[in-house]
Amino acid sequence: MGFLAPWFLGGLAALSVPVFVHLLRRHITVPRPVSSLMFFERGKQSSTRHRKLRYLVLFALRTALLLLVVLAFANPFVRRPSADANRRMLMIVLDNSFSMKAGSRFADAKRQALSVLAARPQDERAQIVALGGEVNLLTQPITDGAQLRAALESIEPGDGHANFGELGRAVRALTESVLGPIDLELFSDMQRSATPANFGDMVFPAQVKLALHSVASGATPPNWTVESVTAPAQLADPKDPKQSKVDAIVVGFNTPAATKTVSLVINGKVSATSRVEIPANGRAKVTFAPLNVAYGFNRCEVRIDGSDGFPADDATVFSVLRSDPERVLFVHANLDTRSALYFGAALQAAAQSSYVVQSVTPEQATDLDPSKFAFVVLSDTLNLPSIFEHAMSAYVAKGGNVFIALGTSAGHRTRIPVWGGETQDARGYARNGSAASIGQVDFSHPALAQDQPGRDNGGWAAVKIDYAATVDATSARVAAKLTDGTPILLDKQIGEGHVLLLATGLDNLTNDLPLHPVFVAFIDRAARYLSGSDRLSGSRLVDSWAQPRASAGSGAGSVEVIDPEGRRPLSLAEARSAQSLQLEKSGFYQIRFANGRDAVIGVNPDRRESDLSPMPDEMLKLWSGSSSERQDQSTAIAANGASQPVSLWWYVMLLAFLAAIAETALASRHLGTLREEA
Amino acid sequence: MLQRYLDPTVLSGISSLDLLARTVVDGFVAGLHRSPDFGFSQEFAEYRAYTPGDDLRFVDWNLYARTERTYIKRFRGETNSQLTILLDASNSMHFTSGPPEKMDYARFIAASLFYLAIHNQRDAAGLIVFDDEVRDYIRPSTRQGQLARLFAGLERAEPRARTNFAKPLLHFQNFLNRRGIVIVISDFYEDPRTIIDSIEPLRFHGHEVILFHILDPAEIRPDFKGSAVLVDLETETKMEVIPEYVNTSYREKVDAHIEALGTRARAAGLDYQLLVTDRPLDAALREYLTLREAGN
Repeated sequence: MGFLAPWFLGGLAALSVPVFVHLLRRHITVPRPVSSLMFFERGKQSSTRHRKLRYLVLFALRTALLLLVVLAFANPFVRRPSADANRRMLMIVLDNSFSMKAGSRFADAKRQALSVLAARPQDERAQIVALGGEVNLLTQPITDGAQLRAALESIEPGDGHANFGELGRAVRALTESVLGPIDLELFSDMQRSATPANFGDMVFPAQVKLALHSVASGATPPNWTVESVTAPAQLADPKDPKQSKVDAIVVGFNTPAATKTVSLVINGKVSATSRVEIPANGRAKVTFAPLNVAYGFNRCEVRIDGSDGFPADDATVFSVLRSDPERVLFVHANLDTRSALYFGAALQAAAQSSYVVQSVTPEQATDLDPSKFAFVVLSDTLNLPSIFEHAMSAYVAKGGNVFIALGTSAGHRTRIPVWGGETQDARGYARNGSAASIGQVDFSHPALAQDQPGRDNGGWAAVKIDYAATVDATSARVAAKLTDGTPILLDKQIGEGHVLLLATGLDNLTNDLPLHPVFVAFIDRAARYLSGSDRLSGSRLVDSWAQPRASAGSGAGSVEVIDPEGRRPLSLAEARSAQSLQLEKSGFYQIRFANGRDAVIGVNPDRRESDLSPMPDEMLKLWSGSSSERQDQSTAIAANGASQPVSLWWYVMLLAFLAAIAETALASRHLGTLREEA
Repeated sequence: MLQRYLDPTVLSGISSLDLLARTVVDGFVAGLHRSPDFGFSQEFAEYRAYTPGDDLRFVDWNLYARTERTYIKRFRGETNSQLTILLDASNSMHFTSGPPEKMDYARFIAASLFYLAIHNQRDAAGLIVFDDEVRDYIRPSTRQGQLARLFAGLERAEPRARTNFAKPLLHFQNFLNRRGIVIVISDFYEDPRTIIDSIEPLRFHGHEVILFHILDPAEIRPDFKGSAVLVDLETETKMEVIPEYVNTSYREKVDAHIEALGTRARAAGLDYQLLVTDRPLDAALREYLTLREAGN
């Protein structure tokens, strides 16, 4: 018996309250004056004694109520001998990350795991865990040997990237619900690249005893791999030297200097080969140009010829969509010619995309069908013909994307077409003496993405804003803000589509953004984001996520996904509702989005898996040793106590509740009598 | 209209006894009818045929000259009397269950009677304030300023000590030489026999004695919901009582006390009037006038 929170016992001082009320205050009664007592007789009868008894019962109830509440806060517990306390549990963790495909690593690991499972006592509980791109608990802690063996047998090598830090976090969470010591048997190649940045993340709790079974015996085999490929996701003109090329980085792990043949394979046919000198444990760049691809999706692959220690990672896949340059509808005010010029120039300068800008005035746009364009830009045009505005709203609801720039025509309380709101205010910063600058930039937004933004806010800090409108940011994502907190770039999802709103203009009258280099990158990324070309082709990493549908509530059609093995990973129900899809396997995924657009995406394993060098022995000893030492201490504590605390607060609170009800009933009767007397 | 000024709760808001008494008496007199009795005063009433033995001074000689018949003029009776009020100023008169206090109610009555006696009836009026002894004495008089002196005496009469009828009443007889009306205002918390024995000698001296028994409604019908501790205002003795007794036996005892006091008073030739502090004052005034008209 004890208290988990004994400091709360200080609340027992509150017991003085009922003591004062009943034992001290009760004696202070006000006598009633009368003219004479000659007609009165002294009397104490049974009702008075009953009332005194009721006083005492009420006093006892109030005291008990306070006592119980204080005890409940102090969280009393009793130690109960635990049946599970000394029962050990065997946890078999089998690494099925991509690197386990090297040689016979996975087969060896599975064989060892099966033998350990077979050797366990029949009544010992065990749990099977697969460690791939994520930690999968394949069974609950059970004693059924057949079920455990079946679960272990079902594990196949995957394409994910293992992380021992994730394993540590999962086991720590697991030990909060599982009592008793755990014998964790880890079967892995103990890749160095699987260790987290912080060693503490992979340390297990005290009750876990770690046993490492490394299958990476002997010297680490040399391994060359294609580390990265830079290729256009969409290509309009194969003869364009800026875009029509593929840059591949080839890297060697634990390799001597060697000359390797690197091939570009397009749709199963070798398109080009190149021999490259790769230094020992170094990198080399290979460029294939031009990129001769046919119209439509092209499944491309950069492959290193020749064998090495890990043939599975010798190729990197990506897809290229060959199409005519996509048209962009640019709607501008009649007198505004600069915006289209700047915007078109920026699009032309961007290396990653190919678009043709069709610049029209609002009147000219009346008969145009927005769905025939990759996306639509509304530059400083808040008064659209109603037919066109209706067509735009339907276009966005079905998955079309719009880029709105608010120029000088964004007066007070002007409705913004398609956006669904009004401008609340418009500020002329230059008129006030100093132009505003951009204070916060969300570099995670696709239109602003930068890998390593510089100290100048990725180039945005130098941009001066002279005139900007204030827009209600409700239900919109604010991607950039001015220094005074005014949202300058907002992204709102409407139906299946997105509307990107720049609260200033695209010309150099309201800001000097078109004069800065960051403008080209911004327009390029924004165009790719709005046209969806990024989602349709290119390459991704295994275990990354695709978004086949904008929102669950949208009434768009179903999603169709074909994985690299030609199977459909989504059930019919999932195809109607799935908003996200994890790309678990390497190869080409073919996806038909809910808005009807097709995509072919190349998925590659994380290249950290290609570095087969294991963790140093010292680190392995430290990892397993730290766990064993603390596990011994934990076992000793468990052996001494052999019990677990069982909290009693629930029962105490129940008693307090009952006491409160009884006190309420008695006090209401008593106080009711007092009121009558008064 | 003025009748409402006989209501004690209304009167308790008037601080000046002079104004209060005037208000009460004017309100009371406004509702009175003239007395059917006759007397010899300056106010003509009727003619009556002369009979031998009548005083020749009242023969209307003018009428005789015109009619040669002898009639005598009759006038309304008018005599001077003496009113003495014995006011109990013991602590028990402090009791109240709501305005006014018994003492205030007694003051209202006394002030009204004084005003009525001096202003309307031109009687001599005096005051004796007593508790367990005589505390104040104002000789009955009709002199100028007597009413003011009496009101001042009433103002001074603050309750204290306890009642003892026997001791002060021995002294009353020394003060009350001339026959008149004696009004005793008290709550009479004493044995009725003792009270009557103490007051009866006044009757022997030819006084018309009225006992005004002042009681609060809560003294006659107390309402206790639970047991309580009571404290005697005069002796400060404390006693715990239970509601069952108060609601039954106590009421019976009080009723018996009132009944015994009234019976004994009437047997001794004393007038008795129970006055409850939540009732109008006219009962007391009417009692006085009745005695006054009876020839005193």
